[in-house]
Amino acid sequence: MDANIKFNTKNLNLFYGDFQALKAINMEIREKEVTAFIGPSGCGKSTFLRCLNRMNDLIDSVKINGEIIFDGQDINGTIDVINLRTRVGMVFQKPNPFPMSIYDNIAYGPKCQGLKDKNQLDTLVKESLMKAALWEEVKDRLNKSALGLSGGQQQRLCIARTIAMNPEVILMDEPTSALDPIATAKIEDLMSSLKKDYTIIIVTHSMQQAGRISDKTAFFLMGEVIEFNETPIIFTNPQDKRTEDYITGRFG
Amino acid sequence: MSRKVSDLLTKGIIYLATGITLSVLLFIVGFIFIKGIGLVNWDFLTRDFNEKVVYAFIESNDVSLSLDEETLNGKMPFDKRYETHLEGPIYIENIGAAIAKVAYKNHSTEREQVVITYIEKDSPFDSAKDSTGKNITIGTDYILQSINGTDFSGMTLAEVAETISAESGELKIKIVQPGGGIKSNIITTLYMVLLSLLVALPLGIFGAIYLTEYAKPGRLVNMIRFAAECLAGIPSIIFGLFGMAFFVVALNFQISLISGSLTVAIILLPVIIRSTEEALKTVPMAFREGSLALGATKLQTIFKVVLPCAVPGIATAVLLSIGRVVGESAALLLTAGTVAQIPGTLFSPGSTLTVQAYYVAKEEGNIELACAIGIVIIVIVIVLNILSRITSDKLDVFNKK
Repeated sequence: MDANIKFNTKNLNLFYGDFQALKAINMEIREKEVTAFIGPSGCGKSTFLRCLNRMNDLIDSVKINGEIIFDGQDINGTIDVINLRTRVGMVFQKPNPFPMSIYDNIAYGPKCQGLKDKNQLDTLVKESLMKAALWEEVKDRLNKSALGLSGGQQQRLCIARTIAMNPEVILMDEPTSALDPIATAKIEDLMSSLKKDYTIIIVTHSMQQAGRISDKTAFFLMGEVIEFNETPIIFTNPQDKRTEDYITGRFG
Repeated sequence: MSRKVSDLLTKGIIYLATGITLSVLLFIVGFIFIKGIGLVNWDFLTRDFNEKVVYAFIESNDVSLSLDEETLNGKMPFDKRYETHLEGPIYIENIGAAIAKVAYKNHSTEREQVVITYIEKDSPFDSAKDSTGKNITIGTDYILQSINGTDFSGMTLAEVAETISAESGELKIKIVQPGGGIKSNIITTLYMVLLSLLVALPLGIFGAIYLTEYAKPGRLVNMIRFAAECLAGIPSIIFGLFGMAFFVVALNFQISLISGSLTVAIILLPVIIRSTEEALKTVPMAFREGSLALGATKLQTIFKVVLPCAVPGIATAVLLSIGRVVGESAALLLTAGTVAQIPGTLFSPGSTLTVQAYYVAKEEGNIELACAIGIVIIVIVIVLNILSRITSDKLDVFNKK
């Protein structure tokens, strides 16, 4: 087995009640790459992303079979889900900072893990905000509520919050869909700088975005992975007719 | 044309209904204020309801009167409605106080009493002690009954003044602290609010957390919810009967503060559960997801993220509960009793303001006094409402920017 493979799914099926949302997904996701999922609405790309840190546990009607191997361990097996989520962080579509201070937002995760030392927390908060390119903008208002930040700043705060946990993988579920172009550009820059330390998996509706930032791209349609390849190949020389139709804007 | 007429009619009915509701409300509040306001003053709020006899020991010491006669004559006992002024006042130098004779009406009997109408600055009364040597306060309206063993009954005011003036050295005076106040009822009410919230809030909040965060939607949850709703609709006298049978008799708590507050806590539970549930439901799912995605456990998520967001809703529950406790009478009549005293322990009885209002109106036929208590209740409810609104604004995490 390739040591660089972070996630490996084998024949993954997912059902919402009777509806099959994911059909026999086999995918290998490599370490320290940006992998993008594209596809029309309702194609299962977000559902798949949420499988990777078991966020689908929150939905009662979901049934999963097949395997998701993360660093050699099946995450639907006996693995501790809390531990999994500290290693696989997630950033959501809408910025969701907690209604507390900026500092507390970043310190929340580490505190939940039992970190109490004030100095360590201070350093961690500063480092995380710096990595998320937010430090300069908020360093004077760390104790102000995070809700006072702009949408783009809030989303970078959420990324910083995830980084503070020092995860191996960061999942991003359409992280820029609620943001304006300038904020989007900032987040994209951030992603490319984070690539060297983290494995990033991003769901996006914008094909341009996938083209700009990702190393690999997977095209989802009706719960199936139609094509998964190097990004330039997907966008310039797709192997499947349906991928080409989607890329060229014939549907979706 | 006919549409215009029917619109106009409907509009008229709407305005009429609003008008009637408003005026009834104003009428009731106005009635209570007009009837009772004459009795509300500082003494009314700070005195015990029942009279109390004490022996005061003072060192006689001549103090001259600093007022002119007219001012002195103007100083009369506070409870004008129930006292008829008979004689006086006469200022007595060796006790530094003025006394008068009044007819004091208690229940339906009239008693002639010698009361203090004015106490001069630096009067010996300022350093009065009881038989154990503890300082006691003597104020105007206090009734004097005897001095150094000489009883005042049957004496004219002039004779009483002469008797007192003739004494010197240490004086032992039998004094009756006047009653008619509702201090004990106010304090009992506050105790009741505190104790019942102390019991019902944690229970209700944890119950609501179970219902919204843990319970899988299904028959059991629906049943619990239905039961809570039914409980909210049951008249409080039923809870009172239960409290009497269970807390007072079966658990042998007696008619007491604890029986009363536990009974009221049960009455509060459905209110608290319902409003906390609603508050928890309005907390966006995104916060829960965000917290769980950071590797927080479900409990950490609930207590660190979800509950703080629900604080304004929970404050509403507290607010409604306070109103409910202050307004509760039937259940407390059966479980906490009608004794107008400050409960010394959890197991002593005490009557809240509403019970006291019921008691004086029903047993003593004293509507004015009941209305005066009513004013105090209304003011307490308004003040508590404002206070909890301020605190809930202060605690609202979405308000801070």
